[in-house]
Amino acid sequence: MSATDPTYTAEIRQLLLRNAIEQFNCQYAAALDEQRLSDWSEMFTADASYVVLSRENEDRGHPVGLIYCENRGMIRDRAFALEKTAMFAPRYLRHLISNLQLLGEDEDGNIKARANYVVLQVLFDRPDATIHQVGTYHDVFRRSDEGLRLRQRRCVYDNLLVPNALCIPV
Amino acid sequence: MAWRKAIALDELKPNGVRSVEIDGKPVALYLLGGEVFATHGICTHALAFLADGFVDGDTIECPLHQGIFDIRSGKALCSPVTKDLETYAVKVADGEVFVDLDEGKKAATEDRAPVGPPREPPASRAVVIVGAGQAASAAIRSMRASGFTGTIDLVGREEHLPYERPPLSKDVLLGKASIESCRRLPEADVVSLDVRMHLGRSVTRIDPAARIALLSDGTALQYDALLLATGGVPRRLSIAGADLPGVHYLRTIEDANSIRRSLEKAKRLVIVGGGFIGLELASAVATLGVATVVLEREGELMARVLPAPLGHTFRSLAERHNVSVLREVEVQDIRLDGQHLVVTTSAGPFAADAVCIGVGLAVETELAAAAGCSVDGGIVVDAEQRTSVAGIWAAGDCALHHSPVRGRSRRLESWHNAELQGAAAGQSIAGVPRSEDIQAPWFWTDQFGLNIQILGVSSPGDKVALTGRDGERGAVYRTIDPETGRLTSVVAFSDPAAIRHARKELEGPGVFDIAKASAAWLTSDGKEENGQVVNEKSVATMTSQYVWPSEGLTRVPDWVYTDDYIYRREVEKIFHGRTWNYVALESEIPDVGDFIRSNVGPTPVVVSRAEDGSINVFENRCAHRAAEFCRELSGNAKEFVCPYHQWSYDLKGNLAGVPFRRGVDGKGGMPRDFKNADHGLRQLKVTTHRGVVFASYCNDMEPLAEYLGPEILREFEATFDGRKPKVLGHYRHSLPGNWKLYHENLKDPYHATLLHTFLVTFGLLVAGNKSSMIADASGRHGVMASAKSDVSKLDNSTKKEMRAYKEGMKLEEPRFMDFINEFDSPWSVTMTTIWPNLIVQREMNTLGVRQIVPTGPNEFIMKWTMFGFEGDDEEMTRHRLRQGNLMGPAGFLGLEDNEAIKFVQDGMLAVPDGEHVVELDPGVIGTADTLISEASIRAMYQHWRSAMEL
Repeated sequence: MSATDPTYTAEIRQLLLRNAIEQFNCQYAAALDEQRLSDWSEMFTADASYVVLSRENEDRGHPVGLIYCENRGMIRDRAFALEKTAMFAPRYLRHLISNLQLLGEDEDGNIKARANYVVLQVLFDRPDATIHQVGTYHDVFRRSDEGLRLRQRRCVYDNLLVPNALCIPV
Repeated sequence: MAWRKAIALDELKPNGVRSVEIDGKPVALYLLGGEVFATHGICTHALAFLADGFVDGDTIECPLHQGIFDIRSGKALCSPVTKDLETYAVKVADGEVFVDLDEGKKAATEDRAPVGPPREPPASRAVVIVGAGQAASAAIRSMRASGFTGTIDLVGREEHLPYERPPLSKDVLLGKASIESCRRLPEADVVSLDVRMHLGRSVTRIDPAARIALLSDGTALQYDALLLATGGVPRRLSIAGADLPGVHYLRTIEDANSIRRSLEKAKRLVIVGGGFIGLELASAVATLGVATVVLEREGELMARVLPAPLGHTFRSLAERHNVSVLREVEVQDIRLDGQHLVVTTSAGPFAADAVCIGVGLAVETELAAAAGCSVDGGIVVDAEQRTSVAGIWAAGDCALHHSPVRGRSRRLESWHNAELQGAAAGQSIAGVPRSEDIQAPWFWTDQFGLNIQILGVSSPGDKVALTGRDGERGAVYRTIDPETGRLTSVVAFSDPAAIRHARKELEGPGVFDIAKASAAWLTSDGKEENGQVVNEKSVATMTSQYVWPSEGLTRVPDWVYTDDYIYRREVEKIFHGRTWNYVALESEIPDVGDFIRSNVGPTPVVVSRAEDGSINVFENRCAHRAAEFCRELSGNAKEFVCPYHQWSYDLKGNLAGVPFRRGVDGKGGMPRDFKNADHGLRQLKVTTHRGVVFASYCNDMEPLAEYLGPEILREFEATFDGRKPKVLGHYRHSLPGNWKLYHENLKDPYHATLLHTFLVTFGLLVAGNKSSMIADASGRHGVMASAKSDVSKLDNSTKKEMRAYKEGMKLEEPRFMDFINEFDSPWSVTMTTIWPNLIVQREMNTLGVRQIVPTGPNEFIMKWTMFGFEGDDEEMTRHRLRQGNLMGPAGFLGLEDNEAIKFVQDGMLAVPDGEHVVELDPGVIGTADTLISEASIRAMYQHWRSAMEL
């Protein structure tokens, strides 16, 4: 197999794409961990959908989401409202993203992928980090001049119960 | 100049305030003495509309935190506001008011003098404090806090910065605490409060005419105000040997250290004096394995301050911890006999390795007397701690209490008194009048593992009533003046809640009623007068433990939310009592065999649809061995089979089959008379209304319509309007708070604009919105309702209502806040609380039912079922989903409620035994015509108390 071998080139492309998505997810997690919500909101395309919903709802075909954004405007509103008006206790969060699966790219440039995530949370009145949410991202990425952007991130969480409140997105 | 038309003049009321919006900026307009003024419409402190505030003379008071601004100048007049309001030029022409936002305050206020109460400079510039103890440090803090900027010279005989003395006879004595932990004025405060220290020195003379204090080192300090906080020294025994090495007194940190050192080797300790100091010493030493004898001169301990039965209680407590207490003993001398000391007494000699003497305090009043101050067993002071000599104040152990107790002036030697008097003196010196002191004297002592608190002042002749077991944790003693029958003090053994309640009891006007208090009189030998021992677990004690505060429904005690017994009683009397509990929407189980798991209170139940179409609710607990057999959240089944032993039940919960019921080969099996019919699952009563399913453990429940009452039924039917609900999904979350707090959150319209700034920021809830807080006749159900303004003209005005009240605050996608009026109701938002476990949410077009599942006093689970209706088109469904961003555990409003409720529970758990203040809208219980009301919460507790029989 040589560098001009089409299979080889495709594999390199795959590896680069995979690397780019992993890099993206790291930046995404960092933005949320550092609670830079307006940076977070800019990681989506203008027509992006961002939904956080329970596996219970997903399995039953129920559309209700903890967060339900149909475009970047709503994502920005979410970031803005959380930063400017929302009252919640201060906390540290740690978003861990792994088990990335590349599911393919269609002719329109939609890159489908999946990854698992865990959100750990530390409140200042309790000693330990708790598992706040665990789930899977169902993603569609698109390439842009600034790099990858999310066209869709559907966060399906396994927890039956949300521990009190989800204050920062996942 | 850009004059903008603001409003018609005749819309302004004299001495009123109106809100208008000019070029997107909120402006408040006022009409004062025929002249119109304009200021920015929002308080500079927090987000609040001044138009909701209160005009008082020339000032506007913010509705939120009572900050006050001068209307003409915009000047911030009091805390918490520090930043002035913008003011704008105003003109009136042809009956119209015009405002120019560019022409600021100068146009409006140019020629006006600044308004505000002139503040007199404090009279004193130089303060000298004599005595560097606790009263002194309290005085320094309060002086500086009251704005005093002059000099402070603190003269103290000890070499230490001020420290508190209570730990000296406790942890310091045992080496568990050091002076650092006792400091009342640490070095950093000396610097920040700017205090000049003169330690290791005393004041030898005061010249009150020249206002000079002379120090032992020759320094002369000029003063405007002088505070005597000289305290005292331990009273010495005037007997031979009273100053021998090994004979100790306790007042200073050095004393405590020296006692500790001598106890390291001691095996026998004699304590002379059975007062609080003596008993605390005995208590501390009791842990060291030292044999301790207390010698008391009087017939009972503390006979000069406490009634004899209480003295007896303290004595018995010590005796139970192996302390020998001898009474009516006169100490004659102390001598050294080889390595040890011998205390000769009227009761014979006592050998000891150490002797501690605690026979009272000799107060230092010589300096005061020499300066001409009236002294009568203590320095005489008024309510502001002023002595009879101008420029001299006194506070702490050396001063009398300003108000005589039962006709007698007395000193109060306590931490609390030093703190109060010190602070009062400091305030007075700084020129701030003292607010009326209504605090009853308070004192505590730690003895033998008990924290004993005393509120009020008793006299030796008082009668004593006891609740609880004498001398044990939870015992509460009330002392009663036998002449008036009034309560004089309350002594509580490790029961701080009793002290909290006692504050009100002591203020109360009535005569003490021993029967009402479930107490018994105590005689001086510790027997109860009727000879009975009060049983700790008796009903009387139980109900006295859950006494509702005397104020009534304006207070809710913490135990309502945190107590495990109360919670178990709620499950029995409320969730399993005479109530209809929400369990499901019918559309969740449309077909035969469909089921969901649900709960009634904490109890898991299954809701299933049987072959005959009926809906059945039964406990999810196998009748055989209790297994929770149904594990799926929802599904479809022909029957329910417990996996453990395969007992099977039909869709109504009747027992269908028991494996090997008749045994095998004629052996084993159930008794012959075993009947399946007697062993079904526990089945509940079921009712449905407009597609909503309720269940009850009560067999003779009234119909739902009657249970709800007409007002609540009307709102229920406005939401469930006959269209068939269609489930859009669930939210489930835990909430670490008591379940009732959730009801209260929705019976508390007060919080809506205060907690949810989102609503205010984006103009969803603005003053002038029509709103109501409705309660049913029983008080248990409620509806919080509000109407978006201009519902009729909504299409055109929606955008306009999304006013950004702070620069840069706007939504990119405001359409999710649109209200599509699909209901036959004047309200755009209703939150209906249906006792005990349901909330029906109609937040514009996002609809849901919330089911409360309590899991203990401190936590509950909330299950939300969000729904639309059959016939909604896709856009309508999406609108509901978009609007759902407001609600649920990640909703802009929902997450804040969850956090706030958690904060409340955290507060109660961290600082227990308190009570909540629920006073808004006084006198009203139930439906309120203002949102600034807690009348519905009071109505709920009226019902709760009757249901709980408490």
